[in-house]
Amino acid sequence: MIKTLVSLPDKCTGCHRCEMWCSMKRKGVLNVERAAIHILRREPAIDSPQICLQCGICIEACPLGLIKRDKKTGAVVIDTEKCVLCGRCMMACPYGMITIDPIDRHAVKCDLCGGDPECVKHCREGAILFVEADQAGRYRREARAKGDKREGRRYLLNDNKLG
Amino acid sequence: MKYSGYQGRLCRVNLTTGEISIEELNERDRSRFLGCSGYGAKILWDEMSPGMDSLSDESVIIFATGPLTGTLCPSGGSYELCFKSPLTGIWCEARSGGTFGPKLKKAGFDYLVITGRSEKPVYLLIIDGKVEIRDAAHLWGRTVTITTEIIQEEINDRDASVATIGIAGENRVFFSPVINDRGRAAGRGGGGAILGAKNLKAVAVNGSRDITVADPEGFMAAIGKAEEALDHYPFENFNQFGTSLLVEILNQFGKLPTRYFKYSTYDRADDIGSKKLTENYLIKRRACFGCSMGCGRYSEVTTGRWATPPGEGPEYETLNMMGALCLNNDLESIIQANHLCNDLGMDTISAGSVIAFAMECYERGIISKDDLDGRELRWGDSEMIIELLGQIARREGFGAILADGVRSAARRFGPEAEELALHVKGMELPGHSPRGEGKTLGLQYAVSPRGACHMHPNWATCWDAGFFDLGLKEFGLPWPPTDASEEVGSQKGIGYHLVALSGEIAEIMGTCIFHSWGLADECLTPRLYAEMLRTLTGFSVSAEELLLAAERSWNLKRSFNIREGLSRKDDCLPKLMFEPLPSGPTKGEHFTDLEGMLDEYYEVSGWDKETGAPTRATLKRLDMDDIASVIHG
Repeated sequence: MIKTLVSLPDKCTGCHRCEMWCSMKRKGVLNVERAAIHILRREPAIDSPQICLQCGICIEACPLGLIKRDKKTGAVVIDTEKCVLCGRCMMACPYGMITIDPIDRHAVKCDLCGGDPECVKHCREGAILFVEADQAGRYRREARAKGDKREGRRYLLNDNKLG
Repeated sequence: MKYSGYQGRLCRVNLTTGEISIEELNERDRSRFLGCSGYGAKILWDEMSPGMDSLSDESVIIFATGPLTGTLCPSGGSYELCFKSPLTGIWCEARSGGTFGPKLKKAGFDYLVITGRSEKPVYLLIIDGKVEIRDAAHLWGRTVTITTEIIQEEINDRDASVATIGIAGENRVFFSPVINDRGRAAGRGGGGAILGAKNLKAVAVNGSRDITVADPEGFMAAIGKAEEALDHYPFENFNQFGTSLLVEILNQFGKLPTRYFKYSTYDRADDIGSKKLTENYLIKRRACFGCSMGCGRYSEVTTGRWATPPGEGPEYETLNMMGALCLNNDLESIIQANHLCNDLGMDTISAGSVIAFAMECYERGIISKDDLDGRELRWGDSEMIIELLGQIARREGFGAILADGVRSAARRFGPEAEELALHVKGMELPGHSPRGEGKTLGLQYAVSPRGACHMHPNWATCWDAGFFDLGLKEFGLPWPPTDASEEVGSQKGIGYHLVALSGEIAEIMGTCIFHSWGLADECLTPRLYAEMLRTLTGFSVSAEELLLAAERSWNLKRSFNIREGLSRKDDCLPKLMFEPLPSGPTKGEHFTDLEGMLDEYYEVSGWDKETGAPTRATLKRLDMDDIASVIHG
């Protein structure tokens, strides 16, 4: 069965190693801004790996037909050399997972590293998994139900109280 | 830029004139000291003339990163603040994790050097090589959390890293840190007070610059080796329990400083230990940038007297200082104290230590209710700990006396108090008991360049307790070590020399020390560091050369202090350390011959036994003639 990425925010510590491995693999440099995976750290208590689901909404959005699904890996891949950065795919993506490389100005989108994603291999927390498609649904339903955030009391951060 | 890994540039900001300049790194100094606090020490050596007041307009403070900062090196999330400490009057470095260091590099700079003093409160914004001095009138008087929130909002970048001072820094509390990413502190020595004196509230950084890699295949292979070694990391629970697990471990072996270091066991240690913290208050673990361990705590107290919003910590040091040291077994109050220290901007070690010292003085009648606005100050009074933290940060009432640190407070209280005050060179003892843990730690407290310190450059106990060889056997580290409780004649000199240099490698690489602990195949050894550095930067460097650079940096920091007038007599321990521990598994342990240990250590490190200064020959061997000509004429 075809495999896909799953993110488990509960397990993420926000170390950004997946982003660095991603940029090393893609560009041979260390630069999290050039990665196709994004780790968001927000307060309170959120560290969340944002991954491309390879849903393919972007395929239809591309007016030049440059986005195609790789038959073998199931990854949705952009022909970045021909891409003119019109932005249609970025507009269409509900997850914000297509970006522009700040250095070489090419479109950036996860291609599953040709079927062996670097981020999964190097996540020591097991916060990013590469699983068969029927398993992915279970994790995704779970994540949607929980949201990315752990329960916690809401606080009014009032400096007068402290200062 | 000549070498990969570095950005090769330094940003200099003069707050008096508003001048901002960008310089290339000095290649001779870069090749000698490599980076981070080593290169930072050279800047401070060049630009802080001896005797200069650390809170003066001219004083210099440096945010320093190293070549491995912000890389895949599994401990590469650190930066170091380098400055002359208002608390001790000598060299100080303070390491912090989080994301600030890596983001400073992403913004295009290895170093940020700040001098001068702004007329009005300002903050610095550094994004992708652009540096801007911005008004901070609306941030002055605000907490760390609020300041961070406001800056991130006004620059519209939630991923920017903000390093800021709290009100304690504004009020020049001598142990106020710079706090980045809300809860990571460049903790000790009062760097925050310097920013406060300069009217610099915060520095916000972000960017999208590459850190280039000279040999990507080789580098990935080296990182692979590092990750594999760390799969066998010996502190297997470190990621689950963080540093807090030391509470139970150290207590079990009679090494937990308790009741202002009088005892080394605490009968209520389980109340403040890792189990209780993890089960009841921990929300999640948080890692610094690039860290594969993730020892950071993120905790919350949801209800009750000490309800505390979610935030980073508490770490072992805080649990010990606000807990066992003050005989306070109320963990919720410690979490609150940790939050207050983070938000008001105070070092939890020094703050806890001065409060425990005040409790000791109160019990002995050296201070009384009259000094405390009619209130009592008894051991374990969590209410008063919290109260005093606020007073210190605001420099109000009794807090104003404690805000200058234990050495200064003791001078005010008189000679009896001065004998009780536990510090070396003005730096309060941290939560590791030299009598309990082992004699090498005492040697470390005596000679460490920033005063009593368990972390800079390394934690000596990891060697002489027989835990780890740190991959140093091949360089001559005695293994297994001799009995930790022995002093002279037990190879403590050579042992500490090598353990210190191993830590100094992390200092100049811009990395965290925690991954350096282990046996040769289970941690980041000098060999692994050299391999990562070589493949990253493209220059040839061996483990031996790395140790040599570490030795240079170590001797430069020593020379800085010598130039400030320090000598062998300052390498001392407080009186209490020479009295036997009264109880517990380490009962009877005490120092008898620190001087003998110093002789042995000076011999190994090439320091003069009379003056304590690195000899001319030592400095010459290290290619530091320029330093020698200053301290030896």
